[in-house]
Amino acid sequence: MTTRDRHGLAAVPFGLAGLAVLLAAWWSVTALALVPRTFLPAPALAWAALVRGWTVGDLAGQTAQTVLRMLGGWLLASLAGVALGSLVGLSATARRYLGPSLAFMRALPASAVIPVAIAFAGLSPGMVLGVVAFGSLWPTLLSTVHGFATIDPRLRDVASALHMSNAAFVWKIGLPNALADILTGMRLSMTVALILSVTGEMLAAQQGLGQAILLAARSFRSADLFAGLILLGVIGIASTLVLAAVERRCLRWR
Amino acid sequence: MTSAITLDDVGIVLGGLRILEGISLDVRPGEFLVVVGASGSGKTTLLRLIAGLSRPTQGRILVGGEPVAGPSRKVAIVFQDYGRALLPWRTAAGNVALALESVGTPRAERADRVAALLAKVGLARHADKYPSQLSGGMQQRLQIARALAQGGWVLLMDEPFGALDALTRQGLQDEVLRIAAETGLTVVFITHDLEEALYLGDRVVLLGSHPGRIEQTAAVDLPRPRNQLGTREDPRFLALRRELFGHFAGHAA
Repeated sequence: MTTRDRHGLAAVPFGLAGLAVLLAAWWSVTALALVPRTFLPAPALAWAALVRGWTVGDLAGQTAQTVLRMLGGWLLASLAGVALGSLVGLSATARRYLGPSLAFMRALPASAVIPVAIAFAGLSPGMVLGVVAFGSLWPTLLSTVHGFATIDPRLRDVASALHMSNAAFVWKIGLPNALADILTGMRLSMTVALILSVTGEMLAAQQGLGQAILLAARSFRSADLFAGLILLGVIGIASTLVLAAVERRCLRWR
Repeated sequence: MTSAITLDDVGIVLGGLRILEGISLDVRPGEFLVVVGASGSGKTTLLRLIAGLSRPTQGRILVGGEPVAGPSRKVAIVFQDYGRALLPWRTAAGNVALALESVGTPRAERADRVAALLAKVGLARHADKYPSQLSGGMQQRLQIARALAQGGWVLLMDEPFGALDALTRQGLQDEVLRIAAETGLTVVFITHDLEEALYLGDRVVLLGSHPGRIEQTAAVDLPRPRNQLGTREDPRFLALRRELFGHFAGHAA
């Protein structure tokens, strides 16, 4: 617990200092005009574009679209990943047969699947959601498999000595035992879901931050482009922080 | 009177290795039977056979007059490695509740039963702690409470105090004797410690190694309740220890 706290709250000043250095560097580059302003706006301009886009423009709506896409796909992936992962993880035979295929699917860059998905489902929101769910499925699925595969044989003895049903075993021993792995997997899945939401929006012309960024770049509105990037960074950090908090709460017993 | 547990010419071969051979044994209801053996004598396997966690390749085993076909709720088992046998994500109370849930104790009665069982093993004040917050001795007490919660009448204990320090171990020995006397449970207790065997048992069975078979059986007619000082200094205790030690040392070497 103490080590975790040290990496948590006490680390905040260091993190802020690092961020300040990064901002200072960004500001210096623009102040010294090392890069044309068409490509890199000053931090203040990016901030102004962000505020304007949020209040006057449609940046808030686009952010919501992207976040919903990310969360929707991630939720589907999490449910399917935990369900399938439990089934595969519980059976050594299933692991032997499916392990290599799962590893292959995981190694496949999910964005490469997008053309296939477009061929099948067209440029629809459903296609993007499907790609997000498909791509973010693997981290959760594989870590769930691992979590179930590493149940201590002694706990199986305990369960059989107590005449526990298979359902009770999964619910009371399998899932809690795999929970740490599952949550780690879900955190990775969330990152993948964000990447694929943005990529999907860019490729399939769906409303959202991905498309907003792409359009800003094409019309050389670098301040708007960076406003979008900042929002994506915030979404990424916020989702990670929320999941880390959930993890801490669920794994109190550690 | 019928036997609580009967083993009739039981043997088991695991992976081509003969682990146990020709084990015949009758345990009386309410008896405290201790099996002593060196490591590799198959004593844990013997316990798993009685628990129904493994099947013998030869002979038959009866518990309460019925053949053992698998694990049964009337037989509870306490494992040596408490760190692996407890659910780390459940509190002490939750671990005891696991057994109550499994035997179908109504939800309304569980809290009272859990409290009573934790009190019985001296963990009343630690109900809300997780196993990782408990000492080894306390974790083993917790495992005993969970085994009692199952409500069986046979208690199997696999070297339960092997990993504990001497003082904790003596405290738990007395606790187990007290619980056995209070509940009237039939206990089969495994140990590699001859003195522990004599201190606890009504009867001590010596198991030889490779393959494990019964070398000798000795009745321990020492008065109960036993006492860590008095019993261990009793001339009969010392005589038994001397008599069995020869057998035991010969195989442990």
